[in-house]
Amino acid sequence: MEYIDMDPSEGIATQQINKNYQAGQVVQANATGFGAASDDFMERGIDLNEQLIHNKPATFFFRVNSDAMLGAGIHIGDTLIVDRSVPPKTGKVVVAILNGEFLVRRLQMQAHSITLLPENKKYGAIHIEHLEDYKTWGVVTYVIHGL
Amino acid sequence: MQAIIDCNSFYCSCERLFAPTLQNAPIVVLSNNDGCIVSRSDEAKKLGIAMAAPYFQEADRIKKFGIHTFSSNYHLYGDLSWRVMETMRSLLPKEHVEVYSVDEAFVDLHHIADKDVYDFCIHLKNTIETWTGISVSIGAAPNKVLSKVANRLAKKNKVQTNCVVVLDSAQKIQTALQKTPIEDVWGIGYQYSEKLKVYGINTAFALSMKDLSWGKKFLGGINGIKLIRELKGLQSHSMQAPRTEKKMIATTRMFGRNVSEWQEIEEALATYATRCCEKLRRQHSAAKCVQVFLLRKPPPIPYGSAQAHYHRGSQVNGYALLDNPSNVTPDIIKAVVAIGKTLFEKGEVYKKAGVIVSDFVPDSVLQTNLFIAPADARRKKLMNVIDNMNAAYRNDVLKFGTSSTHKNWKMRSEKRSKRYTTRWDELCQVQ
Repeated sequence: MEYIDMDPSEGIATQQINKNYQAGQVVQANATGFGAASDDFMERGIDLNEQLIHNKPATFFFRVNSDAMLGAGIHIGDTLIVDRSVPPKTGKVVVAILNGEFLVRRLQMQAHSITLLPENKKYGAIHIEHLEDYKTWGVVTYVIHGL
Repeated sequence: MQAIIDCNSFYCSCERLFAPTLQNAPIVVLSNNDGCIVSRSDEAKKLGIAMAAPYFQEADRIKKFGIHTFSSNYHLYGDLSWRVMETMRSLLPKEHVEVYSVDEAFVDLHHIADKDVYDFCIHLKNTIETWTGISVSIGAAPNKVLSKVANRLAKKNKVQTNCVVVLDSAQKIQTALQKTPIEDVWGIGYQYSEKLKVYGINTAFALSMKDLSWGKKFLGGINGIKLIRELKGLQSHSMQAPRTEKKMIATTRMFGRNVSEWQEIEEALATYATRCCEKLRRQHSAAKCVQVFLLRKPPPIPYGSAQAHYHRGSQVNGYALLDNPSNVTPDIIKAVVAIGKTLFEKGEVYKKAGVIVSDFVPDSVLQTNLFIAPADARRKKLMNVIDNMNAAYRNDVLKFGTSSTHKNWKMRSEKRSKRYTTRWDELCQVQ
């Protein structure tokens, strides 16, 4: 059986002349030009779920309805990615429950109290002495802001 | 050791996660169509709200105490259930987690030394609560039946036990069995418990002292033997492969109102058939048997009649065996509608309908009937496309002609909370 080496540059012309190739070459033989070379570099596209969600069962989304954290780049209508598995520490932006309301603020922990800091001069810091009224819900890891 | 992890007042916990004003308030969740109470927070239990009580019966008390009421939000509960199970799977080998229901799972802890089981359970419990916001109770013991016993004690005494009870010695097992009334033993239903009490068996401990042969004779043969074996501390229920395939799938709903037109019944049946098929395809099964039932509205009780008890209404059933087992929606709709037609009577008023599929075969090795053309691969592909599109776009963007576009008969759910975790436009707001 005659066998002609398939050079991708020769493409379809060769294919029409001779239809005898080995089984392993069938894919390349179907050549439409230089497709085969880029196959080596083929990879999956970027997946935002993978990049922005580090722990899926612990990650939730919230919608921002206040400009209290404008200085941190959090605007009204933005979406927050909140990871409950990240330990809340001083300096983290958190979603918190205080007196029956969800708040987004920067957390500052003292020995026996907590302070929630806004990043907008219109708002004041909230000092919390009675921790039974307070609960850190989760730590904000990303903010999604549409332009 | 084995353990059962059970969410505390699961539906209520889900609601509370996104209701900051209700952190310590009494709340209840109602079943489909707001029919009866299916979940109560501890605060509501303390106020005397009974489990599974019809809503109308408790409505006065609910109003009087200001108990917050929610309609079932299955989108939210389903998502949070997945999160709880996924947290377990990330802390344990995946195959050690057997999801038992929406809010409970058995876990196999044999890879953990007995002396470390308690600490591990505490770690599991804390991680699930931190990650998902859902609190759980854990019972661990040498087998499933005893782990259920342990779990019940953990739930009963949340403060003292910190929601974790481990039965790791013969002494602890005996004490736990003595504290467990016979009707609370896993697998003992109402009828068996009444029967056992006649024999003077009032606690799990009393039953554990019986011989295996006694169990065989009085507790339904092999199951009775298994149960008594486990109460004695031996293992007879092995772990089931995760996500065990269902042997029967049912979709049944109360109509939101009275229905007497065939066309509406037909639409309802087609939609239930569609749901059943989706579930079938998800577990790669095909059904051979299709059943349909319609429930009639009970006749009005004559004024002044002594017949005060609740009448359920009469039910009509029909079934068909398919020539070829199928999970292709149009096949099942066709069968279901044909059965429905034979059951439907003009002039009757219906309040509930259901579709049940059973007698499954794996859809990869469909045993086809030699004399009838098999369902062809193209239709299977079509179902695949529809499933994918409906999953991607939600709310059934693609439907079959019979299943209508305006669901008059859809679930009544007046007090449903938002679908905070599955809908981009229903996210929880933060100030």
